[in-house]
Amino acid sequence: MLVDFEQIQKAKAGDDAAFNQVVIAYRKRILGTIARLIGRPEDVEDVAQEVFLRLYYSLDQLRTPEVFEPWLYRLTVNASYDYLRKQRRRNESRMSDLSEQQVMMADAAAGGKVSGEEHRRKQVRELVESLLGAVSEQDRILLTLKEVEGLSLKELEKIYSVNENALKVRLFRARQRVLNAFEATRASTNKPAGRKG
Amino acid sequence: MDQFNDELNGLFASYKASVPDVEASANFMPELWRRIEGRRSILLRMKKLTQMFLAAAAALSIVFVTLLSVPAFTGSDVSGSYIEVLADAYPTETLASHGVLPREAAEVKTK
Repeated sequence: MLVDFEQIQKAKAGDDAAFNQVVIAYRKRILGTIARLIGRPEDVEDVAQEVFLRLYYSLDQLRTPEVFEPWLYRLTVNASYDYLRKQRRRNESRMSDLSEQQVMMADAAAGGKVSGEEHRRKQVRELVESLLGAVSEQDRILLTLKEVEGLSLKELEKIYSVNENALKVRLFRARQRVLNAFEATRASTNKPAGRKG
Repeated sequence: MDQFNDELNGLFASYKASVPDVEASANFMPELWRRIEGRRSILLRMKKLTQMFLAAAAALSIVFVTLLSVPAFTGSDVSGSYIEVLADAYPTETLASHGVLPREAAEVKTK
């Protein structure tokens, strides 16, 4: 816990200063998690504010301060899921307006501005983004929480309020899909090299 | 397959390193409180509207209950049960002239 129970109780009782302290304690972690869940740095703060807004208006429903962190993660998961769903709808209409050439030119222009380590990071981000595109938004979030954020099954069980076995099955299937997409990507990038050899 | 599994694990680890935790901008807290206040004013407005609606519904209920409890004016001065009205219209004295005897008189006659 990044804050003590007393602080959470005060925030729950309507103490705005205590709520401020809770936000300050958790915002960095939540911002990082959201950044990895949604993959769009420009919208991370917006989604994080939505998380804390929902927290502010649902804090009175929190039964005990002990379950605060899973509660906050659940709000983060829900807000990220809502964002990803909206984003997918927006992207579908936006990408259909651009020709393939325009997309390539935009990518090239963006790539020209970065170099070295940042370029490698960008490639990793893009590769993971495209691999996670092989699963639904819900599975993407679940897989990211497990594989990237490193949450245990017990923690996920508390966040999702779902049986551990059901989570295991869902995670296994999602990981298999991502793995298949990874293999396919590897196969396609190795093909031209094979032809040359 | 195991090789791909290991590579995928490595890729996820690199992803976490490539998207590190970030500090919030200076505008984060003011913007958050602006949104909280905005939502609060919407909730207050909704609460006010709900209260107004409830007050109007209560007032209407009172009006309807009052209207239903006040007896409707029929234009006549008839009051009491049907039997009482009949008894008033035909007093015992006038019944005899119609050949109808009061109960006591009828009993004596039969004896």
